[in-house]
Formats: sequence, structure tokens, C-alpha cells
Amino acid sequence: MTLRTFKKGVHPHDHKTRTASLPVEDVPIPQLLRIPVSQHLGKPAVPVKQRGDEVMPGELLCDADGFVSARVHSPVHGKIKKIVQQPLPAGRMSDYIEIAVNVEETQAHQWQRREVDLNALDRDTVVEGIRDAGIVGMGGATFPTHVKFSPPSTAEIDTLVINGVECEPYLTCDHRLMLERTAELLEAVRILNRGFGFKRILFGIESNKPDAIAAVSRAAAEIPDTPIEIVPLKVKYPQGAEKMLIYAACGRTVPAGKLPLEIGVIVANVFTLVAIEDWFFWGKPLIDRVITVSGDGIKTARNLRAPIGTPFEDLVEACGGFNGDVAKVLVGGPMMGVALPTLDYSLTKGSSGLLFLTQAEVPAESPCIRCARCVDACPMNLMPLKLAAYAKAQKFVEARQHNLNDCFECGSCAYVCPSRIKLVAWIRYAKNYVRVHKL
Amino acid sequence: MSARAEGFILTSSPHDSAADTTQRIMFSVVITLLPAMVMSVFYFGLRVLGLYVLAIASCLVTESLTRRARGRSPWSIADGSAVVTAVLLVMVLPPEISPVALVVGCVVAIFLGKEVFGGIGSNVFNPALVGRAFLSAAYPVQITTWTTPNRVFAFLPQGIDAQTQATPLAAARFEGIYEALPNLLFGQIGGSIGETGSIFIVAGGIAMLALRLIRWEMVVSLLGTVFVLTGIPHLVDPGSFADPVFHLFAGGLMLGAVYMATDMVTTPYTRVGNVIFGVGAGTLVVVIRLFGGYPEGVMFAILLMNAVTPIINRYTDNRVFGAQTAKAGEGAQ
Repeated sequence: MTLRTFKKGVHPHDHKTRTASLPVEDVPIPQLLRIPVSQHLGKPAVPVKQRGDEVMPGELLCDADGFVSARVHSPVHGKIKKIVQQPLPAGRMSDYIEIAVNVEETQAHQWQRREVDLNALDRDTVVEGIRDAGIVGMGGATFPTHVKFSPPSTAEIDTLVINGVECEPYLTCDHRLMLERTAELLEAVRILNRGFGFKRILFGIESNKPDAIAAVSRAAAEIPDTPIEIVPLKVKYPQGAEKMLIYAACGRTVPAGKLPLEIGVIVANVFTLVAIEDWFFWGKPLIDRVITVSGDGIKTARNLRAPIGTPFEDLVEACGGFNGDVAKVLVGGPMMGVALPTLDYSLTKGSSGLLFLTQAEVPAESPCIRCARCVDACPMNLMPLKLAAYAKAQKFVEARQHNLNDCFECGSCAYVCPSRIKLVAWIRYAKNYVRVHKL
Repeated sequence: MSARAEGFILTSSPHDSAADTTQRIMFSVVITLLPAMVMSVFYFGLRVLGLYVLAIASCLVTESLTRRARGRSPWSIADGSAVVTAVLLVMVLPPEISPVALVVGCVVAIFLGKEVFGGIGSNVFNPALVGRAFLSAAYPVQITTWTTPNRVFAFLPQGIDAQTQATPLAAARFEGIYEALPNLLFGQIGGSIGETGSIFIVAGGIAMLALRLIRWEMVVSLLGTVFVLTGIPHLVDPGSFADPVFHLFAGGLMLGAVYMATDMVTTPYTRVGNVIFGVGAGTLVVVIRLFGGYPEGVMFAILLMNAVTPIINRYTDNRVFGAQTAKAGEGAQ
């Protein structure tokens, strides 16, 4: 079997075996949730509840503010204690809604399956449902999914690419979903296919997850009305990046600076699909997610399902506490994840991993020896060493002219750099400067 | 909760890195050079071992002194790049080079070849070749005095150098006598310390390719250019022009193609740039060998291409992924 892939990229240490075979388990319902109103790319949602209001599971907490925004719902029975300002993992401030949870009533809550007439669905009702459920891209980018599924009328969408790649080291939540919720996942594909009538549906999975490839293939054979092509991919990072996955799965190239819509493709993460199924068949909006808690600094690594807003302390407790001296805490994976200064954050729709590293060397940068390994690694075909040099020299216009903004910060360049130059940090610095000063 | 609850290390992503460091790369290069180094001691005697030691010491001392004078941390001694320069410089010098000349060459290589440009990573020219070029002007007699190697491989035929006292390239160029290929491969010829046993350099090159320390595009384009450009005149007039295989394995070409033209710092970034460099250097080698005043031209060819590398780097950026269709919208940027 020849495996497809994209050009360039790297092979980071993978660290997945620790959690890959662990079934998803529910975290004990937390006493308190802290739910940020901004969990997606775009405008923060606007709270529709006030301090003291009682809320139910699935009840709307915040409404989308405009088109590029996403709703936020309550995962639990409880009472809104207060609304506070706190930083998000990435550093920006956000309002957080604090809910005192009524654990017993929440535990007693059952979601009722509802009958769905697939034939009655059309594109508008599908997209409307996705928006109502507050679904965002669960691969980490957290772009509101209904926006992704609202192509301009000029764009002809013919292909759906399902992202089951999960190329970030450590993370296994998507892997587990493909094994444990295969049927639901494919139900969501049927719903989407109702709305869009795709010519091709491609399901990209890296070959290091043979059990997921087998499970999905088996389940796909049972829904003949929706033909799905399973595409096993060669293991390589960052294959889960949209442009790389599209190239790997169907050989199409998204033009630089453009969206996949331009070439008729929509990419959806497997987690996003499960969330769609939850809404259409159970009326359950996006109120919880699976997160991989791993790393040498945690006692028991686990794949946990937890309500959105669960404080990270609760996740640590569910994993038996720290193991040794934790040097670094990451939300997300080690390649694109964000380091946290404290544990004082909570689970958001985009948190795919919570990693505890005991060894975190912070090596000094040494001079660039022009080995150009970054050039050979960059999946966007950029010249990272030049971009970093321009950033250091404050030559931001030159950096922009060298396609600075095509960098999506996958970290491949910095990963391979033998001089340990913080290429991504320098590129981010230049990007921010260019954006703020409108260069 | 045990362990510290705050004060975690904050750094920008990515939070993991590949194993290779500058230091590891440099010492890997030295390790791949070991077979050729060991053979050079067999060919030319223990004196050569002393030269390696002297050169490494001179380069390290020069580097640490200049670093200190520039107010920088002398960490760069540990990165191993001075060791690579020292070993390569010895390898491109004749066996009877005097210790004084060698030390002068080392000081020039490190100081003028590297540190004045700003140290490791900033130099334009290959430091070892800068040292070699300086010595060919300062010690013109020593640098062209060749000795007959010890007979290490007894099964090989008697080499021609016993009669001519010349390198195979000089003998071919000026006397029309061609050395047999086995002698070229196994170093039973006159020549610079480390360049004669081509087969051991090829072995080092294969190891470096396997370790991804060098790019095949550079080696193949350089050697391929020399092969083609020496093959054409040979086909036309085999009597006056040596065959292309002879050219590949004679003189310093193999050492230059594997260890000098592949120097990361002084050669282009992209694969296209590497091919341009390789074709350019290969052409210059052939022009000098066939038409120049010297029998050998690898040093000049590589130094000249080093000089144009910044320009190659300016015009050979990789095209961004998705560029072909983005042309129309580019004006918006």
C-alpha cells in the first residue's frame, strides 16, 4: 500500500503510546466551572445570562456576536456566581462565567435521542444547526464551523476532507474518538452530505493508527448512501494542517493566502463531526470535549471527557496529581501548544491536550550556521532563516515580502534548528508588528 | 497538590527539538573524516598526525583569542567548527608542509576566514580554503612540493609518481602521463595530505549523506558537471585529454565536492541554489584544469562560488506553497 503525504515536514518524537490505548473516561463533575466567552477565533460571544441566574445543561450562556463568532452553552445544572476577567491561555483577556455546579442534578440529566429525518435537511438547516450548537474547529484552530460551511455563492464545494490525522505528539483524543464513536462520526458525515452533496468524501488517517483505519473502514462500508474514501497517510508532521492534509488526501493545492473553499474543499476534524452528531441526534450543543492529559509530570496519563470550563486543577486531580517536579505545562501539543504560567486556566473548546513536562531545557540561541534545515522542513516552502533574520534586524517590510503571513506557525523549522533559534517566536514577532503597524 | 503549582517555564512553541545541534553536526563531520585521516597517516607517516594535532590546537587558540578580543563568550570553541576547519586545512596541504607555515595557515583561516566576518555562520568563504589560498601565495614552493606515499596497498601497481615526482593531475597536464585508476582510488599517488585516497572520501561522503549532513544535489551537480565537461573533450581527442573518471578521482575534487562545497555556512540555502553552485564550481574546476595555469582548480572554483553565494541566495528562494495560482492576487499584499 502506498501511503500519501505532503511535501517536507518533520518527524517529531511522538509520545502517543502512553495514552493511545486508554478509553475515554468521564472526569468527576466539577464543583465549579469557569467558562470563557471567547473560545474561538473571531468576536467573543456576548453573555445572555446574569449573575444569580439558574442554568440547565445545554442552555445558552452567550450568544454569537456577529457571523464570525460562536455560541457558548452551559454544560451543567447550576447557578452563575459571577462574571470575571481572566487571561486566556494565549494571553488575551476574556470574560469568564463562573458557575457553581449542582452536581446531583447534573449527574441525573439525560440527553434524549431524537429522530432525525435526513431527507428534510438541506444546506441551510445543516449550517444553522452547526451554528446553534456553538461548534468550532476542534483541531485546535477553533474557527467557527458554521463559517467554514458557509462558502460564498461563487465557490463550488465538491469535496469534504475529514481530518483524522492528529499529528501533534502526545495527543490521542481524536484517535480514541475514531475508535469509540465511529458510528456517530459517520452519521455526522451523512448529515453534512445531505446539505452539500459532496462529489468526494476523503477521510485522512495516519498509518500509525491502523485500528482507527480499520474501524472507520468497517463502519463506512455500512452506509452505502455516503461513499467515503479512507486515505491512509504516511506519518509526518504537520499533516493535520488544512493545506497539508488537502494536498496529501486529494493532491489539490490551496493558493497562498486563500482558504480551502477557493478550491472547493471543506476540511472537518473528527471531533467537530462528533459534535455535529451530538447536536442533530441528541440536541446536545458543544458543552464538553475529550482532552489528552499526559507527559512525564503527571501520575496517570488519561484521555478524559470533561465539561467545557473545567478548571485544569480538576483534570490534574483526576490524573492522580503531579509526578515529580513539573517544569512546563502545555495546553495543546508540544509543537503548537501554549505554555501556561500557572494552572489557573480552564478547559475550552480548543483544548486538545494538557501536558506536564518535567524536563524543559531552554537552550540559548547560537549563531545560524545556514544549514537550511528549516528551509527543508517548512511545509509552506518559506525561508524561515531569512524571516527570522529580518525580524531580528527589524526589517518587517522585507519579512512581509518574503511571505511572512503564509507561516501558520507549525514549528517544524524551530524543531529542526541545530542552533536552537526561536524561529517561530521571531516570525510571530514580525507578524504582530506587521499587523499592528499595517505594513 | 504536590510539586510547585506555579512558576512554570514559559517559552514560545515548539516545545521540543530534534537531537542535532551545531556541535553534534561539526563532530559528526569530523567522525566521517576519520577514515581519510587515518589513511593519510599511513600514506605519509606519523608526521601527519602531528600536523593534525598542531592545526587543531592552533585553530582553537586563534578562535578563543579572537572571540575574547571581540568581547564575546568563547563558547564557539566548543562548537567544533574550528576542529573541522583545522582538519580540512591539513588535508589540502602537502605532506612536507612546515609547522610554521601550518600555524600561519590556521591563524589566517580562523581569523581572516571566519572571525573578521563575525564568527561562525557569518563567514563568506570556506575558512580552510582561505588558509590554503593564503599559503599558496606565502609559501609557493612548499605548497607545490609533493612526496611519494608509503606503499600501503601492496597489491597495487607501481604508481607513476616515483618517476615524475608530480601529482597525477600535473603529470597528465604537463607530461601526458595518466595514473591508473586503482592508484587514484587507494591513494598510492602524490598529492595533498587528505585528498589522495578518494575511496575513503567517498565513504565519508556516503556516511554524511546518510546522516543528512550534506545534500546530494550539491555533490551530484558538481561531480556531474566535471564528468560531462571533461568527457566531451576526451571523446573528441582522447590523446590530449584525460578521461572523465580520471578527473573525478584525481586531485582535490572528491574532497572538495564532499567536504568543501557542502559547507553549510558558505553555500546556498535551497536545493536549486545548491545545483547552481555545483554546476558553477564544476565548470570552473574544468576550465582551470584544462585551460588554466594550474593543474588543479578546486580551491579557486569553490572560493569563487562562495563569493557569489549571497547573490544565489537572493534569487533562489523557494516558492511559497500555493504560489502558482496566487500570482493574480499578489498585488494586494
